[in-house]
Amino acid sequence: MAKARPITGLDPQAATGKNARIIARIRLEELFSWESYVDNPYHIQELHNLGIASKRLRYTFEVFENVLPVASKDIVKELVQIQDELGVFHDTDVMIASLRLCLGGQDSASVFDSMQSDTSEQHRKGKSLVPPELVADLLDPAVAPSTEERYGLEKYLQMQEQLREKQYSAFRQHWYSLLARDFRREILELLEG
Amino acid sequence: MQHQFSPIRAAIDIGSNTIRLVVARSASSDLDIVVSKEELVRIGESVTATGAISQEKAEAAIALLNQYKALADKHSADPIFVVATEAIRQASNSAAFLERVQRETGLTVQLISGTAEAALTFYGATYEVTREPNPPAEIGVMDLGGGSLELVTAKHMQITWRTSIPIGSGWLHDRYLPSNPPTYDEVAVAEAFLQTYFQGMRLKQHPPVLIVTGGSATSLLDLVHCAFKLEEHRNQLTQQDLIRCEGLLSSLPAEEIAQRYNQPPGRARILLAGALIIRAAMSRLHMNEIHISPHGIREGVLLAFERYGDHWLEIVSQSGAALNHVQQSEAPLVLPPEEEPFVQTGRRLLLERAKKMLELPQEVLKHEDVEAVHRMRVAIRRLRATLDAYESCCDPSRFKKVYRQIKKAADTLGAARDTDVMLLNLRAQLEHMNDEEQAGVQWIIKRLETFREQKQQGLESFLQTLDEDTLRKQIASLIPEGVVSHGKSQTDYRA
Repeated sequence: MAKARPITGLDPQAATGKNARIIARIRLEELFSWESYVDNPYHIQELHNLGIASKRLRYTFEVFENVLPVASKDIVKELVQIQDELGVFHDTDVMIASLRLCLGGQDSASVFDSMQSDTSEQHRKGKSLVPPELVADLLDPAVAPSTEERYGLEKYLQMQEQLREKQYSAFRQHWYSLLARDFRREILELLEG
Repeated sequence: MQHQFSPIRAAIDIGSNTIRLVVARSASSDLDIVVSKEELVRIGESVTATGAISQEKAEAAIALLNQYKALADKHSADPIFVVATEAIRQASNSAAFLERVQRETGLTVQLISGTAEAALTFYGATYEVTREPNPPAEIGVMDLGGGSLELVTAKHMQITWRTSIPIGSGWLHDRYLPSNPPTYDEVAVAEAFLQTYFQGMRLKQHPPVLIVTGGSATSLLDLVHCAFKLEEHRNQLTQQDLIRCEGLLSSLPAEEIAQRYNQPPGRARILLAGALIIRAAMSRLHMNEIHISPHGIREGVLLAFERYGDHWLEIVSQSGAALNHVQQSEAPLVLPPEEEPFVQTGRRLLLERAKKMLELPQEVLKHEDVEAVHRMRVAIRRLRATLDAYESCCDPSRFKKVYRQIKKAADTLGAARDTDVMLLNLRAQLEHMNDEEQAGVQWIIKRLETFREQKQQGLESFLQTLDEDTLRKQIASLIPEGVVSHGKSQTDYRA
């Protein structure tokens, strides 16, 4: 997860309304800094960061709702939708990664060991989708899936991959509908009002 | 008073929620009311939403003003005064609206100041009390409108202090209580907001008697009479009465309240907001009982005209003269939320968010409802967003300490919640699968359940060691007094 952009340019003694608008503008820029990744569904981490950035902008509007125009509520609705779309998309990615681990890592103890240490290192760097303790549970040779269970997992993986495509296309369609109405400009104008 | 010899006058008050008319035979200290009407137009709704009076609201107001004018003319009222208050003061298109009213109704609207509004309300709300044999020596009047709340105190009927707060029943409803009926969470947030707002209000006096006026107050009295069978002659409300009203208003939709208790539907929608504001003000003033008056600004206009003649508004508006040497505060006592200094809002917001978060660990520890983890995670996210926004105002070392704890809480809850979501999805899909597919999914469910149990243990040990009091104190001390940047005051820079 990308760190939140530090907020600069605030005047602590100035009116809350003025400062809240500065924060919202920074969070808006943060959101659109991930825009170039929208067209590639395999930029998993960047799309996740886009979801996180939409959440940060949403919470900024919510935290300062008292000093921002009431029309911000419509903006928040769109941000919640982006967050939800990318949230379920990310959940599916985690499930797919977990299933692939289960199906690819049950063959030998050495594979188990190396995958576990790789995942632990990647998770530390924020690159792995599956937490290392879960990897350990999934790859534990003592509870390896039977042939029948493996077949079920394969089928479920296929279902998840199809679901992912649908989720991505729903998100992309929504994103482009926001671009078509110049959502960014809409927010900036609201903040100027 | 020899009413039959007194002239008949009319006064119309265009408020944020309501437009009211009174036609009365008028004298300088008494009124014989012939007609009293009110209609909910909620001009303030469009002003809160867009900053301007909408076309629809302007048309509704003008249609009503024409009706009121016809009614006043029917009683040969002369003159007909029209005053406008907070919503019109705030509207970006107020001049165009007033011009249109003049053109389409022939009525001239006086846009009055907050000072004049407070004085006129005081005259109107107290004129009946002054006729009593032993009127109270000290008294307070609170006018709760749709867009603002005016509070006045007086000694021997001479105003001694006043303040205006930009919080009204319509405003609170639109900002905090949008659901019908409002949800538990919405009410809790509105209460927290009011509590912190009123706590920050500096009071010069605590009047022993408080008269409350305005549409919400009179409607609440009607509701208590109707729903809880208050004695017919009583015009007092207690904190307990208001708590009962809140319970009723938050459990039934406005339409049902309107139907059952004979309230206008528009009023029923904003009544809970009114009850919450009045009760918060009562708590701040340490009062258990208030008196409700159906009279207010419009009656005050008629009395002021009889007292001061044609220059009544100038006199009332000139604070020192009109308010009988009032102790005016040098600076506004309570600023509107958007004008409140950023750091002051920050201290309040951080405490509100921390309070919300620290209400939830017990629920999570019960391990009965998976949604408890989700609720606490959301509360932490909101606190974290507030911390991110205020980082540059905080003492860096204290900030780091707090942020580390909040991040750890977020990570611990996040791991549990993410697994809950995976399990919920898997179980939901299970019934749509054939036996072979189910075997695989059952296998992964078992693995995830084991993992979730481990996470629960981690979560419990984290929450059990979380020192809530210390965290609350640390959060309360994050933003030092007089901060300019990064927790440093101007003095720090000079040093």
